[in-house]
Amino acid sequence: MGSADVHLVYPADGSIVDVDLELRPSETLVLYGPNGSGKSTILRLLAGTLGGGALLDAAYLPQTPHLFRGTVARNLALGLTVEETAHARQLLDDFGLGDLVGRHAAGLSGGQRQRVLLARTLAQRSAWVLLDEPLAAFDVADRMSTAAVIRRQLAERSAVVVTHEQDEAMMLADRVAVVIEGDIAQIGAPGAVFGMPADASVAAALGLANVFDGVVAVVEGALCGVDIDGARVWGVGAGKVGAPARVTFGAETVTLYSDAGASGGSARNWWVGTVEQLRPVGRLVEVVVTSGTLQVLAVVTPGAVDALDIAPGVVVTAAAKATAVRVLSA
Amino acid sequence: MSYLIEVIGDALAVIARFGRDFREVLWLTLWVGGVSTALSLLLGIPIGAWLGLTRSRWRRVWLTLVNTGMSLPPVLAGIVILIVIWDDGPLGALGLPFTVTAMIGAQTVLATPIAAGVTAGAIGGLPDGAREQIETLRLRWTGRATLAVREVWPGVLAAAIAAFGRVTSEVGAVLIVGGNIRGETRVLTTAIVQEARQARFGEALAFGIVLMAIALVINSTLTWAQTRGQR
Repeated sequence: MGSADVHLVYPADGSIVDVDLELRPSETLVLYGPNGSGKSTILRLLAGTLGGGALLDAAYLPQTPHLFRGTVARNLALGLTVEETAHARQLLDDFGLGDLVGRHAAGLSGGQRQRVLLARTLAQRSAWVLLDEPLAAFDVADRMSTAAVIRRQLAERSAVVVTHEQDEAMMLADRVAVVIEGDIAQIGAPGAVFGMPADASVAAALGLANVFDGVVAVVEGALCGVDIDGARVWGVGAGKVGAPARVTFGAETVTLYSDAGASGGSARNWWVGTVEQLRPVGRLVEVVVTSGTLQVLAVVTPGAVDALDIAPGVVVTAAAKATAVRVLSA
Repeated sequence: MSYLIEVIGDALAVIARFGRDFREVLWLTLWVGGVSTALSLLLGIPIGAWLGLTRSRWRRVWLTLVNTGMSLPPVLAGIVILIVIWDDGPLGALGLPFTVTAMIGAQTVLATPIAAGVTAGAIGGLPDGAREQIETLRLRWTGRATLAVREVWPGVLAAAIAAFGRVTSEVGAVLIVGGNIRGETRVLTTAIVQEARQARFGEALAFGIVLMAIALVINSTLTWAQTRGQR
């Protein structure tokens, strides 16, 4: 089986998905991106569940785990040969759920359902395996053990896996494609993609909320000092003095201090600034700090907001280690 | 008020007598209704499964036709079928006018769109995860349809309830193609019409009460099965 180049468009005007994708045999390609970026649509187009027929001979795991009426054994055997069914039962054992085969499917938890479906999907001897968010239904502990079984089963097989979690992508991928607004924004080895986002949109998709453009002013080994409108930011990257550069770092890598004069610790980057805004982000709080011309985003817990008396107008110090900051060629 | 009580008394007396004519009408109603419901499910469920699962661009057109068929006026179905089976019609050689076979055929035509439409609706309501699996599992079409129908069987029972309700309550089609011949093609609904025309309201009401009792028993059984399936 050779590589397959597919051009996927959905709907007809390509407003949701319009991508060219090279699918390589014996490789797990992970489609990574934020929710609503179109990665599941790409998978569904490959599986043929959006009409137009399947593009690949594939075993497909949909995003929503649904078991049919009847026992787990009946669900495991659906569409499988006798040998594949035996393999599926073995996989269910590997997932630690071997004693569930006689149980009625309706009584299973979300995680158990997902593992039954994973066992059936992975046992099917099709040319390709397509998995949509295979680990979304699990807690952290089960996610790691289930990911290990998936990784083992996908070795030497051809697979496309959708996820919006970086750690899952790192665990499963031979190649990662970052999907943004229905297009592939960057594709490559996981280390290269996550370590060196191609542009600001990929950096944002990777959760690197702070993106600044500047010029490399100093190079000290692996560290570059980049001047951004008069402020200097230190980070890791390969740059030449005088070359334009893009600096990115995650909001979660920024530490806030209530003391405006704080400067201890190992962090290379210190910015004294004023809190402009606090925004709730899930259970956390995003704090916008303006320091000169820089606007730095930090994510902290509500407890930290209270402890540090962080409020709009308050002067704080924001710090980021240079090793958490990436300097990219602009 | 006393007249009303008198009519109800007559009706109960007719039921209590349970005479030969009454038994024949009741038996034929159950036979025609049962067979035509079974035939309509046999035809309608596969059609509904296809409509519920297909991604054909014509799906909406077919669904519209089936939904229109659900409100097909029985008298229109009756007259069209009578024309088709009439001596000079395409099926004239079969000698079907005013026979039980013609009545079963007419009621099957009326109930099949209901069986198909309700089944299609039930399958159309399956969650995305179920539909996507049905579409991608390595199954033949019959296997996919069976899996889908089995998954929504309380909905298919609703189709059976609706189909049976349609065939036992309609009068226009069986009256036209069956002719309401005493001892041969008279069923409860046509008997009610016949008795009412002759102002024998006690007899008419008796047939009506029995008709409602049949509906109650059948629907109670199906509803019980349906609610068990939904648990």
